[in-house]
Amino acid sequence: MTQCRTTCPYCGVGCGVTAEVHSDNVVTVAGDRQHPANAGRLCVKGTTLAETLTPEGRLLHPVVRGERTSWDSALDQVAQQLQSVRQQYGPGSVAFYLSGQLLTEDYYVANKLMKGFLGSANVDTNSRLCMSAAVAAYQRAFGADYVPCSYSDLEESDLVVMVGSNAAWTHPVLYQRLVESRKADSRKQTVVIDPRGTASSEAADMHLQIAPGSDAYLFVGLLNYLSATGKLDQWYIQSHTTGLGDALALAAAMTPSVVAAMTGLEVRQVEQFYRLFGDTEKVVTLYSQGVNQSATGADNCNAIINCHLVTGRLGRPGMGPFSITGQPNAMGGREVGGLANQLAAHMGFSDSDIERVARFWNAPDIARSPGLKAVDMFRAVEAGEIRFLWIMATNPAVSMPDTAQVRRALDNCEFVVLSDCVGDTDTAACADVLLPAMGWGEKSGTVTNSERCISRQRALLPAPGEARPDWWMVTQVAQRLGFAAAFDYQHPADIFTEHARLSGFGNAGSRDFDISALAGFSEAEYEQMEPTYWPCPATPTPGAPVVEGRFHTASGAANIVAVNPALPVFAADSAHLPTLNSGRLRDQWHTMTRTGRVPRLMRHRDFYSVALSPADALAQGLAEHDLVSVQAGEASVTALVRIEEAMPQGQVFSPIHWSNRFAGSACVNTLIPAVTDPVSGQPQLKYSRVSLSAVPVSGWGLLLTRSLPELPGLAYWSRIAVGDGHLTLFAIAAATPVTDVHQALLLSLQRGGVRNSSYQDAGLHDYRDIGIEAGQLQYACYLNAERQRLPDRDWLCTQLAAVGVDDRVSLLAGFDPDIPSVGRMVCTCWEVGERAIQEAVSAGARSVESLGQQLRCGTQCGSCVPELKRMLLVATG
Amino acid sequence: MASRLVIVGAGMAAAYLLQELAAREHTWHITLIGEERDACYNRVMLSAVLAGETPDAELQMLPAGRLQDGVTLLANSRVCAVDTQTQTVFTDSGDVVAYDKLVFATGASVASPGLVTDGLAGVRVLRTLDDVRYLRELQATGRRALVVGGGLLGLEAAHGLNAMGFDTAVIHRQHHLMNRQLDARGGDYLRQKMADSGIRFHLGASVRALHGCDGELSAVTLQDGRQLDCELLLFATGIEPRSALARDAGINCGRGILVDPQLQTSARNCYALGECSQLGSRCFGLVAPIKAQAAVLAAQLCGDAAARFVLEDWPVQLKISGIEIFSAGSLGAAGEQLVLLDEAAGVYRRLVLQGDRLVAAVLVGDKRDGIWYAQLIRNATDISRYRPGLMFGRAVSEAMQVSAIAA
Repeated sequence: MTQCRTTCPYCGVGCGVTAEVHSDNVVTVAGDRQHPANAGRLCVKGTTLAETLTPEGRLLHPVVRGERTSWDSALDQVAQQLQSVRQQYGPGSVAFYLSGQLLTEDYYVANKLMKGFLGSANVDTNSRLCMSAAVAAYQRAFGADYVPCSYSDLEESDLVVMVGSNAAWTHPVLYQRLVESRKADSRKQTVVIDPRGTASSEAADMHLQIAPGSDAYLFVGLLNYLSATGKLDQWYIQSHTTGLGDALALAAAMTPSVVAAMTGLEVRQVEQFYRLFGDTEKVVTLYSQGVNQSATGADNCNAIINCHLVTGRLGRPGMGPFSITGQPNAMGGREVGGLANQLAAHMGFSDSDIERVARFWNAPDIARSPGLKAVDMFRAVEAGEIRFLWIMATNPAVSMPDTAQVRRALDNCEFVVLSDCVGDTDTAACADVLLPAMGWGEKSGTVTNSERCISRQRALLPAPGEARPDWWMVTQVAQRLGFAAAFDYQHPADIFTEHARLSGFGNAGSRDFDISALAGFSEAEYEQMEPTYWPCPATPTPGAPVVEGRFHTASGAANIVAVNPALPVFAADSAHLPTLNSGRLRDQWHTMTRTGRVPRLMRHRDFYSVALSPADALAQGLAEHDLVSVQAGEASVTALVRIEEAMPQGQVFSPIHWSNRFAGSACVNTLIPAVTDPVSGQPQLKYSRVSLSAVPVSGWGLLLTRSLPELPGLAYWSRIAVGDGHLTLFAIAAATPVTDVHQALLLSLQRGGVRNSSYQDAGLHDYRDIGIEAGQLQYACYLNAERQRLPDRDWLCTQLAAVGVDDRVSLLAGFDPDIPSVGRMVCTCWEVGERAIQEAVSAGARSVESLGQQLRCGTQCGSCVPELKRMLLVATG
Repeated sequence: MASRLVIVGAGMAAAYLLQELAAREHTWHITLIGEERDACYNRVMLSAVLAGETPDAELQMLPAGRLQDGVTLLANSRVCAVDTQTQTVFTDSGDVVAYDKLVFATGASVASPGLVTDGLAGVRVLRTLDDVRYLRELQATGRRALVVGGGLLGLEAAHGLNAMGFDTAVIHRQHHLMNRQLDARGGDYLRQKMADSGIRFHLGASVRALHGCDGELSAVTLQDGRQLDCELLLFATGIEPRSALARDAGINCGRGILVDPQLQTSARNCYALGECSQLGSRCFGLVAPIKAQAAVLAAQLCGDAAARFVLEDWPVQLKISGIEIFSAGSLGAAGEQLVLLDEAAGVYRRLVLQGDRLVAAVLVGDKRDGIWYAQLIRNATDISRYRPGLMFGRAVSEAMQVSAIAA
């Protein structure tokens, strides 16, 4: 057994993970007690990391236009295409689309090749979709992309204002740190600002359920209130800021009553929040995608930052405007300069920056102006302006807004390269070349979390097949293009130390991002590297940035950006329609390419559904589990209805995770127009206007298979991984005879060697079919006119693992009276279902703690605690 | 003086009657007259004995000693006449036995195939323990046996012969086996299952002529002209009630001896039960109604004049070559069909619904809950709440019903 310390590849909290690699490459993981981000804690996604190390779906060999080929041949073709497109159509015709999943070293090499040697700044990343508005706002305010907070600030803060963040689900470990600090001191308060009731808002002291996209009104109004009530820190404003006058002029109209009218809150609520903010010195405003993903994203963020600047509440313990990122290495990408509007290492496209970087890289053909940001990049691809696109480690066919446009662009593009660890994504289906990349647990490098802590991701296992690191692929292509001298990397440490040197190159305190203290690392020191916060310059400069009020703006003062709030941009004539909101689920990540393979993570929420308020459901004639079509223009998704008390009327919530790999029509971003923030290029992913209509069905089905099923035309399907196979829930359109679907399914399921058994009651559309080979269940398919007549999924999922299946009849019954259903999984960490919790509550359990003692639920990552509380509340009235 | 009860026939019906009488207080002196040297054995199990699956001793239906205790057995005795006036029976061997009450339990014989058999050796039936003894002595290995008739008896016989080592085939006039008890698919399932053990089947076929050589059977010709070589031919072409004795005695007969619900015949103090009897238009070949008759008749004989034999749709419950078969209700009934097919296990089940009522059930290979289905049919129970689990028996139906309410 070997032990290894590494970093979790999910959210921006960046928790340390201790992995043990046993014989046969079996890996177990635990939270790293030494890591400052989590001190041993892990959330449910982190806890199940070892289960993602599955060969299923892995891309193992280079593939060119569907044919397996050698690395040499694949790289030759990539290099040749890149070269010829660039020669024929110019540097602007080539682009890289990167990802917050890449390691800093991968990012660095890709950025260097494109911006330094191909003369194009067309390098953008999926971080554009998450937090580019936050980056733009920090840059506008501070003159640099500097996050002026640490996780400990949340704990020390007397008031945490969470805006557009459901951290209880999206950043569970950080949220638990926050909750624990509140437990220790009940005077510390939490306010959640979110249109939607969430697990985070349930546990908050105050929930301001604002109208979608009205965040900036609240904070501009707060600025006005702080000014009007004498809460401004005049000394700080005088010493360290500029621009207050203009900002206040724009804010003057935002009285609490105007704010209340714009946000849909009551005046009393607005005033209560303003008083709390005004009277509390130690305030952290924690914000995330709900603020960023807006056509006014940068303004939203600056409206928040302004309130901290005018009160001088930043740069001191327990205070500050804190943008938390969604991806494990969004920060590393920002540091490298992997966004189209950055050059490298916190340098932009000023002449002096260009000259400095060109000199450092010895770059022959450096880009001189910003490149195209994600949305514009894919527009240029569709328009034929970009003809060569290399996508690394992400799935834009699902994650971009207006995904129909993105798919068109990918289909039209002359040459699309995708390097990824899995080969079965929606984007892979559009790519000409697939390059097998190493994934988490195989690759080696660094990531930076949301509090600027650089940690190592380390290899635990040998890579499967011919998988290679992304930096190696880029290096190989660069060498083929004739840049061997500049891309002579043998080890990620070579790249990291160059990156560190560049951060300190000609810096002398002029740029915040400086890790030159690490530039001298030997390979061995790199391997041993402990989590390290930046800045860490080789020669410490007096005074920490921002913290000491030292800003990198031209004037050296922070800018108070005048914000004129605006509501989200919607299509005309859509005011009467419901607003679509989108976001993450507790146990899922991105487009499920990783979490979707872990059965345990599919038990909290299994099949694709959208949430509606009870009143809207009633108005639409929809009941729980009905099928609903959510439409925006030509695009639509089809989902199960989930009725949530916490949903506000007039809003629909869809999780973002589903792709065509996991569901028939569930790619929510097809409904989102590609409206972007003019400042940051961040798309407005959080809002769209949609119409709802019930989808009539003639029957429902549940299909359990060992391999991916072939499905006939269906009104709806959604598939989850279960142990040893897949479980698909589907619905048959009312116009399609159930028997047609039944026949088509049988045709695809039955094969030689499998003995089939069946039951049918045509009158109820009740068809049940199972196939057994060598004593093992191969498939089970149940159709019924009514969904609740389908078998219990937990019972069903156990059947694939059963050895020596001899009682086919009870399989066909689809029901085992001896095995009670566990119900919906509430605590994924300890696998505690709602039935057990309900029983414990009826047996007298009255607190989350007693449930934890009895069942262990809620005692690991804690993300189910809000749900446990709700269940206790319901049960005890 | 004890009254005299004479039972003609010492087969299963007689045995059930004796069992029923033994369970009651009575003063009858009973005389049991049987043609065979064996009495009161379980004829249904003869093919299992032939197959070597059941030892001979297990055939006995009455505990040792029961026949001697107050019962006089006249074995190897054929009753040749009955005088209902003088209440006397006469046997071939010259016995004259007077009765106060007489019971006909003369059973049935294999229906005549309507073929010229020319006294060929190797043309047989399987009806008695003596038949078993004869067949058991035959050299089976390497020899071919044909069974004519794909009903219950024929299939059981075929199973026995096949187990003995005969190269066995069944000729059946209908297109599926057991056409009286099973639907086509059920019959087909049964055929497949039996074919797995090596038995061959000629369905939709019948024998036109037999051929012999030196008095020994050598082949048969089928109606379609095909000729099948064989050394043994067993007829299992249905059964005929044996009513000649009663008819000769002037008792009213149809195909069988006509009885009323008290099982009385047209002659005073004369009763009939079992395969030889007929109530209305119905004759009886299955165990269940005959056992019911025995109970009614025993009650009558013990002074319970109110006891009545009531016609029902008795479910058919059988086991052929290890395959359970159950059928109840009217098989041909139109209605919604619930069908379970499990080829690997040779399980086939079909339930027929009319509205919310179960009207028929055919179970092959797995007859669990058959009795429950028969009750549901008989009581015309509303099964709508059970329907999703109905096929899977009572426990699943009731639990699914509960879980649906809980959900």
